[in-house]
Amino acid sequence: MPIYAPSLPPRPELTEGSHPITVLTRFDLKRVVKRKVGFFIFGFIFLIILLIEMIVLYGKYLINTSAGLSGLKDFANKIMTQGADYQAGLIDWWMLIPLWFMMAFMVGGIVSRDSLYRIRPLIYAHPVRPQDYITAKALAAFIIPMVVMLPFVVLPWGLSLAMAGKAGPIWMSAPLYLLPAALIIGLLMAAVTLGASAMASSPRASFGWVLGIVLGTSAIGAIFSGVLSNKQWMAMSPYFLVQAWPQLIFNVSEPLLKWVPALAGTAAHIALWTWIAVARTKPSEAVL
Amino acid sequence: MIAFENLEVRYGPTIALKGLSLSLEDGIVGLLGPNGSGKSTLLKTLLGLLKPASGSGEVLGIPLGTHEAARLRGRIGYMPEYDALIEDTSAYEQVAFWGELSGLTSEQARDRAHEVLYFVALDEARYRPVSGYSTGMRQRVKLAQALVHSPELVFLDEPTNGLDPDGRKRMLDLVLKVRAELGTSVIMASHLLEDVERVSDQLVILDKGEIKAAGSMAGLRKMLAKRFELRFLDPLSEAQEGKLTELGTVLEHRNGIYDVELVEADPVLPFRFAKEIGAVLVQLTPRHDRLDEVLIRALKGNIGATLGSH
Repeated sequence: MPIYAPSLPPRPELTEGSHPITVLTRFDLKRVVKRKVGFFIFGFIFLIILLIEMIVLYGKYLINTSAGLSGLKDFANKIMTQGADYQAGLIDWWMLIPLWFMMAFMVGGIVSRDSLYRIRPLIYAHPVRPQDYITAKALAAFIIPMVVMLPFVVLPWGLSLAMAGKAGPIWMSAPLYLLPAALIIGLLMAAVTLGASAMASSPRASFGWVLGIVLGTSAIGAIFSGVLSNKQWMAMSPYFLVQAWPQLIFNVSEPLLKWVPALAGTAAHIALWTWIAVARTKPSEAVL
Repeated sequence: MIAFENLEVRYGPTIALKGLSLSLEDGIVGLLGPNGSGKSTLLKTLLGLLKPASGSGEVLGIPLGTHEAARLRGRIGYMPEYDALIEDTSAYEQVAFWGELSGLTSEQARDRAHEVLYFVALDEARYRPVSGYSTGMRQRVKLAQALVHSPELVFLDEPTNGLDPDGRKRMLDLVLKVRAELGTSVIMASHLLEDVERVSDQLVILDKGEIKAAGSMAGLRKMLAKRFELRFLDPLSEAQEGKLTELGTVLEHRNGIYDVELVEADPVLPFRFAKEIGAVLVQLTPRHDRLDEVLIRALKGNIGATLGSH
């Protein structure tokens, strides 16, 4: 049986604590990790994708190095991507689609959960400024896709390096291309999710908003591309933008989008959704 | 503790607080007023969440309307009126979170969360998600989050909202305990007069963004001690009734009984008066005014001068 003090002990110092951005980000990340069903489902999906990626990589290695499989080489080269395309393919639609779903399902509530529980005014009643709040939310929304993408950058590269050194299927310099691509993808995904979450009144609504934005802009982009016979209009969609960035950075022969539309589309989306998130999370009162 | 002068706060074209001037000492202050009177707006202004359109003031020595408001909020605890709880976390987790947000280290916040939840008698339930808590428990979690960093001043916005009589008593006991044991000053906004009467030692009555009355509860009680019901043997003539104003303010007259607020709390005065006007006083009953009557009178605008300076 614990023996408690009859009253609260003296007040501790308040000056040694972490910055509010750190506290809020940490709390949000904990909340995301606590969503066990999502964590399990998406963890499993990404693990399978990563496993397939590793198997393909090992297959490529065997075909290139084993004399017994040399007969398969021509055939394999026809069906498997090579060179820069293969490197860029490490972060491709087959992992970006589940990542969008994960962002919608698990990160979508990052702001809307605060709206649902009406805790934002209470957060602002603490030594937290609106810019601290939105920075913390953006940081948490950015860290999560980065944590998912990092193994896709590092593990295949590490395996290739371990198997064949510099001559492996994955370039030695591949992470230098993949990391900036992942960074831009993470920023774009975080901005879209943040804006969608700020507009929604609940995490469930956020899920709809994120997918609505991604699919809606893709549909509009596709219509414009078809009508104007120019596929660069696809840059309206974050779905195509995130796929385009690894290709652009690896300078593949036929990227999905060109540099200018990709830059313009990405900048516009990041600016628009961040602005919406800032506007929607302002305290209803004018915080000093 | 708190002082402001000509404080005016606007929501767009609407003036929520109309040139308030007030000075409050340490202790428990009851902020009374009907819904929409400006109580929450005043609390938010004092928290630095609302920028005054005009006027000046300071809370705990920090001027209002400056960029130091964020620092001020670290020294104040705020228990909101609405249900601001993180439903999917336990009381312990969220109180620790609010502690960290107030400037405590993780370790301090965790320790403090345990201590403060024990203080509000939620130690047994602290690891359960708050979604399963009763209304009383939820109110106590809100109080715990306001106290976790041991603020010098705590704002309680309708702390007894939705509580049953037992829950209300417990909450008010806690408010008294906060002042008595922690030495924290409390500003308690409420529209429940009994609650304010029970715990407060200062009172501010707000209506339509204006202070209708303000002063100490002791002053209020002293003022209430001046009220008497008088009945004379024979009905008073018009001339005699006219002289009643010398005795005090006639608040009500029905069935030959005069409800009078004497100029002084001296029960001998009516006897002297009766002798002067040649009447026979047959009834002198002290009127122990209830606070709700005081509030109604204040809202009618005929109490401010008598309750005390503000």
